[in-house]
Amino acid sequence: MRFSLEFIKEFFDPKRSAQGIAHLLTMAGLEIEHLEKKDGDWIFDAEVTPNRNDLLSIFGIAKELACLCNKYLDVKLCKYLGKPLLKDIDIYIRDIKDCPVYIARLIRGAKIESSPSWLKHRIVNCGLSSINNVVDITNYCMLKWGNPLHAFDFDKIEGNVYVRRANQKEIFVGLDDKERLLCPTNLVISDDKKVIALAGVMGAKNTEVDFTTKNILLEAAVFSPLTVRRSHRSAGIDTDSSYRFERTVLGKLLEVASSEAAKLICEICDAKTYGYRKRGREPVPPKKKIIFSLANLNAYIGEKFPKNDVRRILKNLGFKVKILSRGKLLVKPSVFRLDIARDVDVFEEITRIYGYNRIKGTLPALACQLDKDNIYILKNDLRKFLINLGLNEVITYSLNSEENLLKLKESHYIKLTNPLRSQEDVLRTHLLVGMLEAVKYNFNQKNQFLRFFEIANIYKKDKDAFSELPFLSCAVTEKAGGFFYLKGLIEEVLSFLNIKGYAFLEKSRDNFLNSLIVNYKDRSLGFLGKLNKNIKEDFGLTDNLYFAQLDITLMESLKKDNFYEPFSKYPVVFHDISLDLKKDLRFEEIEKILKETVQDYLLDYQIVDIYRTKDAPSNLITFTIRIFYQSKEKTLTSQEVDFIHNNLRKRLSQRQGIILR
Amino acid sequence: MYQKIKSIEEQAIQEVQAANSLEKVQNLRVKYLGRRSLINQLFSKMSHLDKKERASLGENLNVVKQRLTSLLEEKLKAFKEKEEKVDLTFPPQRLFFGRKHIVTFVSEKICEIFENIGFVVIEGKEIEDEWHNFSALNIPLEHPSREVFDTFYLSLKEKDKGKYLLRSHTSPSQIRIMEEKKPPLAVISPGRVYRPDEVDASHSFMFHQIEGFCVDKEINFSHLKGVLLHFAKSFFSPQINLRFRPHFFPFTEPSAEVDISCIMCGGGGCSVCSYKGWLEILGCGMIHPKVLEVCKIDSKRHKGFAFGMGVDRIAMLKYGINDIRLFYENDLRFLNQFYEV
Repeated sequence: MRFSLEFIKEFFDPKRSAQGIAHLLTMAGLEIEHLEKKDGDWIFDAEVTPNRNDLLSIFGIAKELACLCNKYLDVKLCKYLGKPLLKDIDIYIRDIKDCPVYIARLIRGAKIESSPSWLKHRIVNCGLSSINNVVDITNYCMLKWGNPLHAFDFDKIEGNVYVRRANQKEIFVGLDDKERLLCPTNLVISDDKKVIALAGVMGAKNTEVDFTTKNILLEAAVFSPLTVRRSHRSAGIDTDSSYRFERTVLGKLLEVASSEAAKLICEICDAKTYGYRKRGREPVPPKKKIIFSLANLNAYIGEKFPKNDVRRILKNLGFKVKILSRGKLLVKPSVFRLDIARDVDVFEEITRIYGYNRIKGTLPALACQLDKDNIYILKNDLRKFLINLGLNEVITYSLNSEENLLKLKESHYIKLTNPLRSQEDVLRTHLLVGMLEAVKYNFNQKNQFLRFFEIANIYKKDKDAFSELPFLSCAVTEKAGGFFYLKGLIEEVLSFLNIKGYAFLEKSRDNFLNSLIVNYKDRSLGFLGKLNKNIKEDFGLTDNLYFAQLDITLMESLKKDNFYEPFSKYPVVFHDISLDLKKDLRFEEIEKILKETVQDYLLDYQIVDIYRTKDAPSNLITFTIRIFYQSKEKTLTSQEVDFIHNNLRKRLSQRQGIILR
Repeated sequence: MYQKIKSIEEQAIQEVQAANSLEKVQNLRVKYLGRRSLINQLFSKMSHLDKKERASLGENLNVVKQRLTSLLEEKLKAFKEKEEKVDLTFPPQRLFFGRKHIVTFVSEKICEIFENIGFVVIEGKEIEDEWHNFSALNIPLEHPSREVFDTFYLSLKEKDKGKYLLRSHTSPSQIRIMEEKKPPLAVISPGRVYRPDEVDASHSFMFHQIEGFCVDKEINFSHLKGVLLHFAKSFFSPQINLRFRPHFFPFTEPSAEVDISCIMCGGGGCSVCSYKGWLEILGCGMIHPKVLEVCKIDSKRHKGFAFGMGVDRIAMLKYGINDIRLFYENDLRFLNQFYEV
């Protein structure tokens, strides 16, 4: 809502600087977003909250401002003329739920000209454009009293006036020259032949007041907020009028606005009023009585309010106050304040005018008995652990495109019914797409060394049921270690959570080449693998990417606390074995022989070297494995170690496909 | 004989001094001190001399040998040190270490501040229904007050709590917890929220919020102020000022918006705060009795306060980030700027 200081002064002179007024209003809940000096007047841009329909008028703002200046603004409302009766036409309201009251005034012999400068300034300074004297007067009265009015060219109206719902596909050409097809959602004003206004939203071109107009039919009405809301939404027009109707326009000032407009048209346009007709009745809001005690107020706010301050504030707000016995107060809110319904609403009013910033802050003693979310704890712990390992956390969008999910052969996804763009029209079923986008972005910035992780939810539906579950994803590029780095990472994560007894199983998976699932007693903790060429190309990746995803809920249920485990302090001896492994045999086999042969004396083993020579036969892998021997009970003698080691060499050499070097 | 020794010595000293590489010095050592060196040859020629002469010549030879040895060693040492010298102007090795995403860091940090004064973290769900996202929070389905809550709806079969949607704020967590748990409650609930906003420097269809609320018998508006003041001073700086402006939220009464004194100019006015001196950081209020009542909490016996803040916005203010899209592009040059863990 835009308003000007000179306009406010028609009701009340606050005798304060514009900046002072802006501060007072802002700190009382009417935030002034912009303040500007223009042609000797001050223009205020205010954000009116949806509960304060009373502030959508200069009258309402003046009342509020007076209260903040510690005054009650008593406005003498002008008397209105209800005579003579308009006989030329009649008005029919189809449904009083849509339109409880409609007042029409006929004004004959108006001279349509441009407005006098004072009127132009009022209109323009409140953000509207000046059209002609009649239209400006209707807008002036709307701004002043908050009641939207409309002026029709009476001579263009054929027959009577009706307030009714539009027929299907009825045509409406508005004052904005745009043609719209209406439907029964739209409430319209019509004559015997045509639609002459979209009720509460905009007048029609066919009855527009222009410089040839002589006789005017002035409409003042109340339309139902919900009807106007639906109507303007379905027609796609938002106007100052619909804005006010949608937030509820009261009947209280309807006659005042209508008669002041008529009076001004007579004065400025040299016309005389001719007739008046009213159908329906102004809706009367239910009278409210709110009883509370000062003690309730003090306990709710945490402040000792002086009784006199409370009475004074309520009086200045236009609320009636009666002191009852035992410190109780009976309050009747101002008729303009539909938002005041119960004690807490009155508490807010008192505190707001008293000043929020005068209330001291104190810390409560909190005694919440709930437990912290376990999943939240685990997510934070994982995050800490992964950044310690040198990974960067990313956050990617939970929304993917259906097209991308289909490319990845995903199903059971949840679609958005009103997506903003097709790039984000489904909820993701895994964390891959987001990661691919983050990696691709960095590849394009020439960053090939990437170790990323994300912790976020994935969403799936199955018939009527759906799920939203947290997962961990990790991605490592070729340059940052590739597959075996990723495999090591997963092992570290599981060891950090002290999850034992899982196994990596080879299992082919859509979109991946070389993939493992992390299996735990027939359940899958997750998977890891190398993105296949198709996906790499589809998503425009210029280098290989290795990706893993783990189930946080399952890990949470399996994780165990870590305890100290005693270790052997006897000396460790290591021996190396260099060997060729035929490619149809797998490392697994060596591992098996190693464990079976060495048994309890096996502390650890490592691959210390892999030979990659140009002339090496392609069906062989040559490497050196280092075996660490240790006993838990004694110092191993060199004879003992040699015996076991030679035995191991023998067992290995007996296996087909293994050639010792 | 003595003359010969003398000439060998002079020649050796000359050659050693002229040697300009480690290799040459090593060769000279072999030449003069090695097993078949000139000096050793002289030693072997001494056998036919008489005892007295042999002793004197031997002594002389030993002195020369010692002199040459120390000279060669010195020269050798000088060359070795030169060899080890490296060009220190080469760039250092690049170190890699991980970082939390700054939005996560800020979110965790805020939660931690509230945890320290007795709040408990409980996360809500992102897929919500109309009841929890709107109606239970006293937001009518068709009302201008819902306009700020444009929402993504989901293709899931509607149940008795209305259509399914992506929560447009974290406030539904408040309802979920109050429906299930009894007061006293003090909960902080962070998470992702979604609104169909066109993406630009200050809007994103996905962003992060933190909801906090507290319900107990003696809770009042002054407590809300105290808790938020504690938060702002802990998170931003002890010197920060706070102001509470009355506002409207359907789910709180009284309601307020909270501004902090501008962290750039300290309140004097600058482009960051649009020359107002204040920056809005959150919305809050006393939980509306209707909201307590729909959760079957007796509003006569229990009162509560609630607040909600945008994590992205707070991170942007705190670190001077001017474009919300930076959070979701995950550019390493952005991610690696923050050392907060």
